[in-house]
Amino acid sequence: MGLDPAAAGSDAAPGLASPRRPSHRELFMGMQQVALSSFGGGLSAWSQRIVVEERQWLDNEAFITGLTVARLFPGPNQINMAVYIGSRFHGLSGALVALAGMLLLPFSVLLLLGLAYFELHMVMAVDRVLAGVITASAGMALSMGFKLVGGYNRDPVAMLLAAASFLAMSVFHVRLIPLVLVTGPLAMAWYWPRQR
Amino acid sequence: MSLTAQAAEAAAQACTPVHLGDWRNLLAVIWDFLSLSLFSLGGGNTLLSEYHHLAVDQYCWLSSRQFADIYAIAEAAPGPSSMIVGLLGMGAAVREGPLWGVLSGVAAEAAILLPSTLVMVAASLGWSRLRDSPWRVAFERGMGPITLGILFAVGLKILRISDHDTPAYAVSALVCVLMLRTRLSPLWFMAVAGLLGGLGLVNR
Repeated sequence: MGLDPAAAGSDAAPGLASPRRPSHRELFMGMQQVALSSFGGGLSAWSQRIVVEERQWLDNEAFITGLTVARLFPGPNQINMAVYIGSRFHGLSGALVALAGMLLLPFSVLLLLGLAYFELHMVMAVDRVLAGVITASAGMALSMGFKLVGGYNRDPVAMLLAAASFLAMSVFHVRLIPLVLVTGPLAMAWYWPRQR
Repeated sequence: MSLTAQAAEAAAQACTPVHLGDWRNLLAVIWDFLSLSLFSLGGGNTLLSEYHHLAVDQYCWLSSRQFADIYAIAEAAPGPSSMIVGLLGMGAAVREGPLWGVLSGVAAEAAILLPSTLVMVAASLGWSRLRDSPWRVAFERGMGPITLGILFAVGLKILRISDHDTPAYAVSALVCVLMLRTRLSPLWFMAVAGLLGGLGLVNR
């Protein structure tokens, strides 16, 4: 939690690193190391430290391109990043191996927590603690939109699109898939790059 | 919460959990997750309302309060919080026993990740051609505001199912502000709020 991998220092000289090509096994182990290091948070920073600085699979530019692609396409960003790294070296099989390396331990931990929850949530003490924890996680969920709003509040069309999507979902209970299928093409048409 | 209150909630739910032993139900569920996968804009959090709709309203695997609990557990646990789908899958089958719960959890997670992973592999390998395409530019700029609106709707939904009185809303509002203004790990907020719950200062 208190660790900041970017500030922890590194012996690798940036810019001098020549990318190396990992085997499937190395991909799996490397992604597992990323997952383990980031127990407690900061996954993206740990991923950069391990993949770029320690193991030198990618140079910094390729890593940042990966973050861009991972954010753009559907799927959880960190998981997409593992897919990007794996597929760069070994295509689909590399992607699946990297994905497995990244998910195996945290997903096992989560399933154990889940089993514990379904066994124990009727216990009064557990329920009371959870009653508190969910108020914090609700606040975290609420912050997601506010975090992004600064990027759009000078563009009235963007704010209109955001407001329409919000109202459709919250007030009119439109489901996500039809909502995106209707608003998506309209928004893409509006933002289609124009020839100048 | 007393047992009678829980019984009342169970009665209010008034729908029976969909049984996954029937292969048609199982296929329908897998199809739901597969098709949602490609609509997980902005890192997957946009899907949370849909997960609630599927697990609570449509299939009755979980009550709304269990959904709020599971969301908090997925946020607190190490690793990507989008793994919440594994817990939804577990909730769907854990009545049949822990082994079925685990199998169902793995299947749900695999279904939600498979399509987006395939697209991501194609995107990674073809990025040099995609990068300057007008489709890429329009998609990136157009989907941003829609994602923003959906994330507000999702935040409000989670808030509604989690908080039911003034102290709870106050804690959520404070955590929201602290998330935006500080760089503290969210685990601290959850730990302190859990303590408040344990002491009986925050209730459902």
